[in-house]
Amino acid sequence: MKKVTVPEQSTVEKAVRHAAAIGVAVKESVYPLTATVQYPRQRKKMPDNFRGYILFDPEKCINCWECAFICPANAIRMKEAPNKKYYPTIDYGRCIFCHFCIDSCSGGALRATKIHDVAYKDMDEMLTLTEEMIEPPEIIREDKKLVEYQIDEKDLRLKKTREEDNLIVEKAPPPVEIQMVSQCIDRASCIGCHVCEHVCESGAISSSIANGVMRMKIDTDTCTGCGLCVKECSMQILTLVRK
Amino acid sequence: MEEVINELMGTIMSNQLNIPALQPVLDSVSQLPVVGLLISFILWKPVFALLICPGLSTVGILLLFFPWVERKLCGRIQWRVGPREIVPWLGGLIQLLADTLRFLFQEVIVHKDAHRPYFLQFAFLSFIAALLPLLFLNAGNVIAIETPYAIQAMLALVCLFPFFILGLGWASNSRFAYIGTVREAFMYFAYEISFIIAVIAMVVLYGTSNPLEMADKPWGLILNPIAAFTFFVGAAMATSRMPFEIAEADQEVAAGPHVEYSGIAFGLIYVMCYEKAYILAGLMTVLFLGGGSGPDIPGITPLLGNDLMGIVWFLIKTIIVLTTLFVLRTIYPRYRLDQGLNIGWGAMITLSLIALALSIVLVQGGIVL
Repeated sequence: MKKVTVPEQSTVEKAVRHAAAIGVAVKESVYPLTATVQYPRQRKKMPDNFRGYILFDPEKCINCWECAFICPANAIRMKEAPNKKYYPTIDYGRCIFCHFCIDSCSGGALRATKIHDVAYKDMDEMLTLTEEMIEPPEIIREDKKLVEYQIDEKDLRLKKTREEDNLIVEKAPPPVEIQMVSQCIDRASCIGCHVCEHVCESGAISSSIANGVMRMKIDTDTCTGCGLCVKECSMQILTLVRK
Repeated sequence: MEEVINELMGTIMSNQLNIPALQPVLDSVSQLPVVGLLISFILWKPVFALLICPGLSTVGILLLFFPWVERKLCGRIQWRVGPREIVPWLGGLIQLLADTLRFLFQEVIVHKDAHRPYFLQFAFLSFIAALLPLLFLNAGNVIAIETPYAIQAMLALVCLFPFFILGLGWASNSRFAYIGTVREAFMYFAYEISFIIAVIAMVVLYGTSNPLEMADKPWGLILNPIAAFTFFVGAAMATSRMPFEIAEADQEVAAGPHVEYSGIAFGLIYVMCYEKAYILAGLMTVLFLGGGSGPDIPGITPLLGNDLMGIVWFLIKTIIVLTTLFVLRTIYPRYRLDQGLNIGWGAMITLSLIALALSIVLVQGGIVL
């Protein structure tokens, strides 16, 4: 067994180390570094990919429910809007800010911000409805300075500049938006259960009976490529393809 | 009756504080019937020593601002900010004033198991005990009681502190207070002997224990640095500053003997630590840094006079010693009780005996004086 002991040091070595410690104290008292960000007055500069409050743009939403499916904390519930579409609501009491919803959003309707200081009065208020997610929440900005951590060779320094951080990140849209569309790959296997027709939010799937045979039709113009019918098809004969 | 008053007035007027810059004002004020008498009474050196410096007013001002200086300085060294929220543009300067107000209006809780009379009495008595050594402390040539045994008297009164802390802990009758009190008792014996020997070394070296005569001698720090070091470490132990904050260790015994106190009783105990530090720093200034002696500054010394310059030099030196004592807590972590006792009974006593031997050699060899 190895026993841990105090390292052997001569008196001179000890004295040198004491002197070094006192020297550091004197140096810091004259020219100190700080590690404190005085929060309401100063705000730390967050990176652009900071995982904060989530904003929502209903124009871009294609009703694919992907955010609600992927949410590991079950914080996102879909709620029917007056225009018969389903939009996400986020319960911030459950949200773990993993931003899987934003990563999975195919239309780019969900957007991350740097806002991390929203207060709620009670648990019920933490359920953020779709209407409240469109505009950023009202926060009182008291910060006069922007603080940035800088690590040089030895020490951590705070760089303070007199400017305000923009909390809402203007991210460039993805370069190419790939339009997907639903397509039936095996018409012969269709049992005509109408599930795809019911589930489709945009009304792209219609059915007709001709000569006693049920025929489903997918309108490629109105289809948003949300993939809901693909998920729900009982025979699993639907798939998403490029438009 | 008139003779007695005249004699009294003669005594008072013969030992006045001399301030050349204010002399015309004082002369005109002294013509006034009651105010003149009052002012000449205050400027009487023993009363001035008690009331103004190094006595009550100086202690009060230091107690109000020194905890702030300590917290701010330690904050700077440790990359923090320190107190700030009360009057931010002054950097939280009146933090302790606000704390004092809060202490004043807070309820003093005496818990069920406490020994009620002693619990309340010791908090206030200890504050008075900490003030007593000021009677023999001199700032320049201003001293309350001039006696050839001033250093010994001060030492005896300084050694009274721990008894009151033991009393606090005993009256509190709680487990943390008990552990803290026992630690305090252990530490008391560990530092006291070497502390006293270090002071005796200086008394032997100077050949006198009258602080007024010590001021004319060369600095003790240069003559006997070992004694100065021992005294300084002993002072850190006596005031329970950080490396030897064994009795009050916050993380272990939650302020030790003070744990049960609240309100103004806690406030008094809290500032008592600073008071102790001030008195020991003053004693260090007198013993090792030449007291109130200092070089003449052209333009200022003729204006203020020798008496006031002595006070100014004394205060400057004392504050430097105090600051050094307080900065220790940013440099060293706390020792364990056994390590503290080891240092006290081992290294400190050895160093103090070496210091005493050095003093005897210096005196006998005729190197000094």
